[in-house]
Amino acid sequence: MKRSYWPSIITACVLVFFYAPIVVLVLNSFNASRFGGRWEGFTFSWYAKLWAAEDVWEALSTSLKIAVLASFSAMLLGTLAAFALHRFRTRFQKTHLSLVTLPLLMPDILMGMSLLLFFVALGVDTGFTTIWIAHVTFCVSYVSMVVLARLQDFDFHLVEAARDLGASSWQTTWRVILPMLAPGIIAGGLLAFTLSIDDYVITFFVQGPGTTTLPLRIYSMMKVSRNMPIINALSTLLLTLTFAAVGLSFLLTRRVKQS
Amino acid sequence: MKYLIAFTLLFASHAFAVDTLHIFTWADYLSPELVKRFEKEHNCKVSIDTFDSNDNMYAKLKAGATGYDLVFPSSYIIGLMKEQAMIQDLDLAKIPNAKNISSDVLEKIQDKKMSHSVPYTMGYAVIGYRKDKVKTAVDSWAAFARTDLKKRMTQLNDMRETIGSGLKFLGYSLNSRDEKQLAEARDVLIQWKRNLAKYDNEGYKAGLDSGEFLLVHGYSGDLWQVAKENEAIALVIPKEGVSIFCDEMVIPTSAPRAELAYAMINFLLDAKVSAKNMEFLGCLCPNKEALKNVDKAFLNNPAITIPAELKAKCEVIEDLGADLPKYTKVWDELKAAK
Repeated sequence: MKRSYWPSIITACVLVFFYAPIVVLVLNSFNASRFGGRWEGFTFSWYAKLWAAEDVWEALSTSLKIAVLASFSAMLLGTLAAFALHRFRTRFQKTHLSLVTLPLLMPDILMGMSLLLFFVALGVDTGFTTIWIAHVTFCVSYVSMVVLARLQDFDFHLVEAARDLGASSWQTTWRVILPMLAPGIIAGGLLAFTLSIDDYVITFFVQGPGTTTLPLRIYSMMKVSRNMPIINALSTLLLTLTFAAVGLSFLLTRRVKQS
Repeated sequence: MKYLIAFTLLFASHAFAVDTLHIFTWADYLSPELVKRFEKEHNCKVSIDTFDSNDNMYAKLKAGATGYDLVFPSSYIIGLMKEQAMIQDLDLAKIPNAKNISSDVLEKIQDKKMSHSVPYTMGYAVIGYRKDKVKTAVDSWAAFARTDLKKRMTQLNDMRETIGSGLKFLGYSLNSRDEKQLAEARDVLIQWKRNLAKYDNEGYKAGLDSGEFLLVHGYSGDLWQVAKENEAIALVIPKEGVSIFCDEMVIPTSAPRAELAYAMINFLLDAKVSAKNMEFLGCLCPNKEALKNVDKAFLNNPAITIPAELKAKCEVIEDLGADLPKYTKVWDELKAAK
């Protein structure tokens, strides 16, 4: 039988569809034209401007701090929630499940507005803490869903075996349950991190003076800024970092497997 | 965990440690160099947060967000903010430089006496086109009726601007509340729509630059930036008149540092400071003293200076209050038209 070319053609199309916009973005970060409509020559000037753009770096650091804090908090709360949902199947837990899934379906604008009204009613000043709380609120749902999926194929006989062999419940948790759940928890945490770092709508409402995150900054730059291409430069740098991190982890896992 | 708490407290508190002026504005709407100078002169810190549309900014402040001392909204939403008591009345004695504001601009805007808002920047919605590809001269909104440019033109995806262009073409006010005039404008705009590639607010700059679009309806400041890079692009102020937008400075009622906000307004209206700021922004500040200090080439471009005979025909987009649904109805019909 002759091998069909179709699978490779379709794969190529999908890859182009995924990566062509990123390639254009990387190319435009070196384009002297401000609008990216034409190629005006090679330049590093956007990188130089980015280096000097203190407020963009400040926004990036706010975004990173929030994403790290929010994903860790969501990992903790989400895992606990998933555990409760899996172990106890009462009517109360059914309500709990729908409450946990609700934020996945709720429009962002509704969540942002209601959180802001809530903070205002409590008399809390919006700022770093309120963004953190808001991000944890929507991240918890994602983490608990991922961990819950992991718990579905969790073999609880292992827990019983560990107890049988004399492990305390504390030891069982740390030595058996957590290591087995770790891939799910980490996957949920990474998902939470990505969601937190690019959230725009909710953050806009709960953000306070002095805590502009990167997405807020970028959206605003699209309107009036003359320096929009520095965002291309920043994205290219972040992209390189991501690829480097992925490559490094790939190398490390291979080395561990070989040894 | 202990570290985590300490870590958070550190970040949560640092923004409030020194005397800080909190500004809520568009991104890159203030020269960073001037901000540094202000910080030094007034021994304070300036922190800038950004919004991307007047409507979002309004929704947020209306819901009760506080902490901002100085906000830069567009003039059409200021009337509404005033009505809702969201902004303070200004004490002009604290802004001696307010005398530098061009009086012809004040005549056009709603708050003519600067009782609660002070103009910061202004611009127009005009036509930009490719001189190299559009051979016959363009001087009117009627250009959108040209079938030789079919599918190579864009109009703004903005209800008031686009309906306004139709009204202006017919010789009516762009704040018209007359339903018959609006219906006429709708029919003209539907004709034009058949020649357009799309309604667009962002992509027209790159599209005009690359030659994908040959004639676009856009904001003067933006189009001028494109024209500076690409010599083939020309700007035209249609002879029927255009819309003027004005971004202004207001102090929210809840401002914790109103005194610093006053100082900032006065600082930005200083002739030399304003001229420097204009160079950074690349758009016009309606400051007659500052205009004496800027480059002549900057002044002699259609994005900045409107010929005197056209000036009378230009209008500021006003808040329509209860008549707004008349416009939304026309806009919906326009969007649905084939």
